[in-house]
Amino acid sequence: MAKLMSLLWGAGSPPCWRVMITLEEKKLQGYKRKLLSFEKGEHKSQEVLEVNPRGQLPAFKHGDIILNESCATCLYLENQFKSQGIKLIPDSAEDQAVMYQRMMEGLALTDKLNSVIYYDCSVPEEERHDSAVKRNKEALTAELKLWEGYLENVSAGSYLAGAFSLADVIVFPSIACAFRFGLSVGRYPKLAKYYSLLKNRASIKTTWPPHWVASPQGYDILKDL
Amino acid sequence: MAKGMTLLWGSGSPPCWRVMIALEEKNLQGYNQKLLSLEKLEHKSKELLDINPRGQLPTFKHGDNVLSESYAVCFYLESQFKSQGTKLIPDGPAEQALMYQRMFEGLTFYEKLNVVIYYSFDWFVPEGERHESALKRNKEALVTELRLWEGYLQKLGSGSYLAGPSFTLADVVVFPTVGTVFRFGLSPERYPKLGEYHNLLKERPSIRASWPPHWLESPKGLDTLKDI
Repeated sequence: MAKLMSLLWGAGSPPCWRVMITLEEKKLQGYKRKLLSFEKGEHKSQEVLEVNPRGQLPAFKHGDIILNESCATCLYLENQFKSQGIKLIPDSAEDQAVMYQRMMEGLALTDKLNSVIYYDCSVPEEERHDSAVKRNKEALTAELKLWEGYLENVSAGSYLAGAFSLADVIVFPSIACAFRFGLSVGRYPKLAKYYSLLKNRASIKTTWPPHWVASPQGYDILKDL
Repeated sequence: MAKGMTLLWGSGSPPCWRVMIALEEKNLQGYNQKLLSLEKLEHKSKELLDINPRGQLPTFKHGDNVLSESYAVCFYLESQFKSQGTKLIPDGPAEQALMYQRMFEGLTFYEKLNVVIYYSFDWFVPEGERHESALKRNKEALVTELRLWEGYLQKLGSGSYLAGPSFTLADVVVFPTVGTVFRFGLSPERYPKLGEYHNLLKERPSIRASWPPHWLESPKGLDTLKDI
């Protein structure tokens, strides 16, 4: 099964990481994969554009099927391989509601993180404003506080929607990025606990961004939030 | 079933519209609903903030389950009511994959539209931070995006839905954005496939039933997008 799958990915990219965690959880190791460099612009190469005209990663193929949206890929894999590996969508209506809600809120978290971390990359110099930077940081702080609240009762086996689920697959990579970029463990203790509980989960440990392993010291853009 | 459901919504909001289409398609008419005014900032009222700290619409309750992400509501409804109404997630892997893919691309489409049509609103971009160069870039990005969707529909052929021969969740979540682009003056001559898709879907009962009331009251839309 996995032999018919291939993934073009970039290191440290939460969307790519989400797909890789899912493939591990669904016991689909053995898929072909190719690491590309964002820095060298390889995500805009012909090889990627042939699979994904948007020139974005991840770009995933399963036979002739192409999926270039990380959430789409994760949902597809869970539905197609429901009976193998870990069950990533809970059965009860209550847990399902929380799971889908947190999954989709996870996209807001990622956007708000990006608007702070990648401000200079995405906004041309003459359009940058301190007022915008300040507002983005305030919005991210409010967002992180919401997640701190969602994880009030976090413990081993009790994550964003109870047992480990697609919500965690989608959201964990962004939480990991937040700490990589200097988020204070002291100010966000529940997020920190969530992070430390899951960073040793097999699917997550195996797919940890290689350059984070190589240079464990991250950045401090978020240290004052 | 629907009596245990409540929806707080705003007219013309694509996320709200998605939920209303899904409820119609799953034969869950009769849900309790309350229309709030986005203009009067009723979405920031205490009533709403108590249920949804993000102060956003839609906010949907089913018993004790509260959902305020439109896609989450759609997935939840399809999963909980699989056996009633329209089947919104196809079984076949190729169609299913395409449906999920277009659904999530639909979020990009929606964002690229908003950064054009709401650019000159203070709540979106404060006046001191607006730049002609940014608006120009946003319009170019929207045109690129629209052409992608034209291409997707072209490839599938006339009368097709976004993921193939059947109406799916992809149409539920993306049609409201398509409805909005034409409301804001997009030229169906320049985007004929989107125009065809719009004409096909606007007659669908679930979509007619949930058409934004203020669009019915004033059928003439805006012309923000007429030249793109």
